[in-house]
Amino acid sequence: MIWVWIALAPILGGLVYGGERVLRARMQRRQGPPILQPFYDMFKLLDKRTLIVHAPHALLAVAHFFVLWFSVAAIFLGWNLLYIIFLHLFAQLLLILAGYSVRSVYSHIGSNRELLMVVAYEPILILVAVGLYLVSGSFEVSQILKSGGYLTQLPLLFAALLMIVPIKVKKSPFDVGEAHQEIVGGVEIEYSGVFYEFLYMSRFLEYIFIYSFIYLFGGESHWLGALLVAGVFLLVNLVDNATARVRPAQMVKIIYTVAMALAVFNLAGVLL
Amino acid sequence: MDMVLTLILLPIIASILLLMLPNQRAQYVVITAVLFFLGIGAFSLYTSMGLLTFQLSHTMNLAIVAADVLLLLFFLYQGRVFNHPKVMALAAVQLVLYGYIELIAPESGSAEIMVDSLSKFMFLIINGVGGIIVLYSVKYMEDEPASPLKKRLFVGGLLVFLSVMNLIVIANSILLFFFLFEMTTLASYLLIAFRDDDVSRANALKALWMNQIGGVVILLGALVAIIGFKTVMFDTLLQSSGGMVLFSIALLSMAALVKGASIPFEGWLLGAMVAPTPVSAMLHSATMVKIAPYLILKLAPALAVSMVGGIISIIGALVFVAASYLALSRSVLKEILGYSTVALLGLMMALAAIGSEESMNLAMALMLFHALSKALLFLSAGVLERLHHAKDIEDMKGMVTRSPKTVGFILFGFVSLTLPPFGLFMGKLFAISSIAALLKEHPSNLIILLSLIVGSALMVLLYFKVASALLSAPSDIRASEAIAIPNGFNVPLVLLSFFIVIGALGYIMLQHNIFVVLLALPMLFVFALPTLIRRMDRYDRSQPYHCGEKESFNAALVYYEPSLKLQRILYWGFGSLFVAVAIVGALS
Repeated sequence: MIWVWIALAPILGGLVYGGERVLRARMQRRQGPPILQPFYDMFKLLDKRTLIVHAPHALLAVAHFFVLWFSVAAIFLGWNLLYIIFLHLFAQLLLILAGYSVRSVYSHIGSNRELLMVVAYEPILILVAVGLYLVSGSFEVSQILKSGGYLTQLPLLFAALLMIVPIKVKKSPFDVGEAHQEIVGGVEIEYSGVFYEFLYMSRFLEYIFIYSFIYLFGGESHWLGALLVAGVFLLVNLVDNATARVRPAQMVKIIYTVAMALAVFNLAGVLL
Repeated sequence: MDMVLTLILLPIIASILLLMLPNQRAQYVVITAVLFFLGIGAFSLYTSMGLLTFQLSHTMNLAIVAADVLLLLFFLYQGRVFNHPKVMALAAVQLVLYGYIELIAPESGSAEIMVDSLSKFMFLIINGVGGIIVLYSVKYMEDEPASPLKKRLFVGGLLVFLSVMNLIVIANSILLFFFLFEMTTLASYLLIAFRDDDVSRANALKALWMNQIGGVVILLGALVAIIGFKTVMFDTLLQSSGGMVLFSIALLSMAALVKGASIPFEGWLLGAMVAPTPVSAMLHSATMVKIAPYLILKLAPALAVSMVGGIISIIGALVFVAASYLALSRSVLKEILGYSTVALLGLMMALAAIGSEESMNLAMALMLFHALSKALLFLSAGVLERLHHAKDIEDMKGMVTRSPKTVGFILFGFVSLTLPPFGLFMGKLFAISSIAALLKEHPSNLIILLSLIVGSALMVLLYFKVASALLSAPSDIRASEAIAIPNGFNVPLVLLSFFIVIGALGYIMLQHNIFVVLLALPMLFVFALPTLIRRMDRYDRSQPYHCGEKESFNAALVYYEPSLKLQRILYWGFGSLFVAVAIVGALS
């Protein structure tokens, strides 16, 4: 059964992405696209002629997608949270290298920003893992889901995690990675056709990845987990509609001061 | 014991042979043979069991005393010649202290030489990585503007240095350790000054005076040990308890901080980057500076769960973050590598000083994998310097078109430092879970954990910033013909890469954890991908999109320069922490 879920992960993520577009449209009192729009887009992309800059650049996108899928699968299989975080880092670095490997200004700016994003959220993710470990006694996702009470013991850490969700799903105030086409798509610019398809699906997987972390805070209660995910989903989109984008350096600064302080404060509280 | 003696004498004999052999091919034969035998010797010792001890005879001890006094007099003389008051003062202080200690030192004690499992592990690093660097240096020195004799002296000197290193890791007498410590300082001094211009000389003198601080604190540590416990042996000192034992240990650990170029002493290691690249690779990243974590590991039984151990691990962890951050302001590739060496040495010392069995093993693993990866990176930087005359990463933009293979080696080096399944990454990963497990008992480890996490993230930024320079190509340069790497460079680089892969495999297998093995899958997949997806020719190629602008691509690199105020705070902060080690030691 779990393998079916793993196989369906990109589709699940696609539905979340489509649902998000509907939700945001409704928040802005627009009609918005149908929920299946991401999949229509994918079929459209398959029809396009594929142009590539050079083979390694195109292949790195494929590698990025599969490694990301691997890390999502690792979550579903209940692996060690640290392994999952670093597999995800690996996937991100493949994309960054891809961005650097072409002579495009936009691609380079995009990669630089992706790198800054990694630097910003990576420590928080690890601190979240450590916090869950301190409360549950294990880094294994399967063990973490067997106990509970994370939200009461780690409220500030959860807030820190909330702050990095917009970075991962590219939402204001931290949507620096692509900046709503302001840097012409960033890393994605030089991809087209089937290879862009892989990047497009990677975005779906990112949704699953980061919302899984939110879900973990529900612990043994699936209802609480689902509720948290739904709540955060709403909140992130609300914030996205209500805030302006910050500069990349400001993002790092905010995360390193506010989110890091929240996380450390919470961890110290648990320890003492 | 014969094997140990081989490790010490063989490099010296080989260096004498080298001096008499002007023919390059003959030199290669000698060095390959030496590398082979040293490798076999180190490996067979590593797999052997048991503790070897050896008592030095009276004449040998006297010879060492004489050599030591000569060495200190040489430092004093150098200070006078180049009119450097700090060098002179520190040499004089050491002479006085050393003379006094030799007067009151107890005649008998346990054996001066002791080969334990830590020494055997160090042999592996010193002879394996060091040997490969010597092999590389023959080709490197070919283009050096120096007389043929001086070049041969250089390669021979590196070999002699190997035997000094082999000796220092088996020294059980603090005084013998001091002598060898000073010998490595001498090696640093002479090799940094090798090019003999103003900058080299100034930096060499800087290395000399800073490292002599290490000598002074070792002597002070020995003095305390003699007064308190009537011994100059590490093993007796570590078995004693109470009284001044922690003071002595604290003083000795301060020497590690100096040799490991922890802030505020990082200046000497960065200055050392003006030396020929094999020197940077050998002394200032792969072997000599490893004395720092080695010494802490040796002292770890006493440091564990003491205030002194606590403060050293906190210093190490903070250095890890601070040096990674400071590296972001640099643009010379070797300086960036130097800073990241300082940072990782800090991490190793932090782990060693925690003193639990697991964290000590992790420190050792980091030492080995760091030596391999950094040697690879330094040697590749040397190739770029020799073949393309590029030292600054600003000049390396688009290097991938000019030297794809070297860039491949550098990228592999970066990947081996940051990603699964390579040893250094694994070490950091296990360190996080190991420290997290200790958090409940020792909440102060939260500082170390936080530093480890943030420092690692900054290092990713650092390495991939450099990668961006190598990969981006300004378009006004016509894609020039790639220059092939000569075999004299290629073979050492391939050997190092091979050992990184083998080491990673071995380390994974040692864990007996199926999930750790699975971590290697993505890397395998990425490397296999080009063969999995063939026929990339069927896709049409296009030029990158330039938004209708005339192409003038020049990717900018990001630098983060800390403000002067912040720098001052850093130096004063780390300076006072350094002094605090001694104070804490004296009080506890």
